[in-house]
Amino acid sequence: MTTSHSEEALKALMLLSLDGDEAAYRRLLTALRVLLVGYYSRRMGAATKADMEDLVQETLLALHSRRSTYDRDRPFTAWFFSIARYKLIDHHRGRGGRRLAETELGEEIESDFSEDALTARMDVERLLDGLSPKQQELIRQVKLEGQSVADTASRTGQSESAVKVGIHRALKALGEKLRGGS
Amino acid sequence: MRDTDDIINSLASNLKPVPRNALRGRFLAGVLPALVVSLLLMLTIVGVRVDMAQALMLPVFWIKSAYNALIAIAAFWATYHLARPDGSEGRFFRVLLAIVFAMAVVAGIQLMIAPPETYKHMIFGSSALHCPFLIFGFALPIFTGTNWVLRRSAPTDLRLTGFIAGIAAGAAGAWVYSWFCTENGMPFVLIWYSVGILLVGGLGALTGPRLLRW
Repeated sequence: MTTSHSEEALKALMLLSLDGDEAAYRRLLTALRVLLVGYYSRRMGAATKADMEDLVQETLLALHSRRSTYDRDRPFTAWFFSIARYKLIDHHRGRGGRRLAETELGEEIESDFSEDALTARMDVERLLDGLSPKQQELIRQVKLEGQSVADTASRTGQSESAVKVGIHRALKALGEKLRGGS
Repeated sequence: MRDTDDIINSLASNLKPVPRNALRGRFLAGVLPALVVSLLLMLTIVGVRVDMAQALMLPVFWIKSAYNALIAIAAFWATYHLARPDGSEGRFFRVLLAIVFAMAVVAGIQLMIAPPETYKHMIFGSSALHCPFLIFGFALPIFTGTNWVLRRSAPTDLRLTGFIAGIAAGAAGAWVYSWFCTENGMPFVLIWYSVGILLVGGLGALTGPRLLRW
């Protein structure tokens, strides 16, 4: 069973969790873990994998022990990403990268996590969910992160034309998904 | 990877429900007893002002009381919101400015209708030097109670949260102190009470980043 990463779906799980529903909470944490891995891996360039996994775990523990600070009348993803962001900055601070965390990271994440940007991003993620992992990666690198076809080709070890064809097919699949309204 | 699965499993089993107003309840549980402690300290150490019976009839006594109470309420309200990771101080600084401005107007009016030879007394009173420090002292139990709550919450701007929580504790401490203080000059309150409140705010801003980290 796949859990949708939309605000409504996550919030519904959170509300059930706050009432003590263990199964809902398990699904929520599993979904949030995926979001956290995506969120942190995009922002921790030089970090090792173990480092990132540590941070994901710490964030899950923190949101568990602070779950009473969630206001049921407000968006869940804003609450959740505020914690993720705080933990990331705290992580950089712990490594003496205080200045870096406060200037560069602060601004980047600020604009990234307005509520509008958030829901838009969640919608994109939901759409991408329907593609194969390989296609998802191509769309992310070339269309969302704006990297060149040549760079992506050399990084993934494909020819440029293969990358182009891959993107074309992925976009077509997305288009069909949108038209189909699934 | 396996570790994270374990963590998710252990968090999800034995999940305890969270009551709807859990955060508000914790604030009341942390702040109200601390306020009572502070009041008891005031009663046992210095006692209420000697002219209490007459003072209760004076508008200036109640204006002084309201000045501190209003700042405390506004600051606690903002602190309560900042205790959530996605919360902000809202309009706190504008409200604070409005309260201080209103007090300045009252102080100005009092100075205008009073003879100039009383100015010195209305501004410095007889306790200007120790008033801010006594306020600081009576604020400490409330400061401790507030931090106890915040350390179990999830503020993300630690310095700002510490500062406003300090203002809240300082104003509550000033309110406690105002039951003892015999000064009737509004300029005195505007200056020296505010200094005392700001001292506690400064303490909060200094300690916040370390004390409130989670």
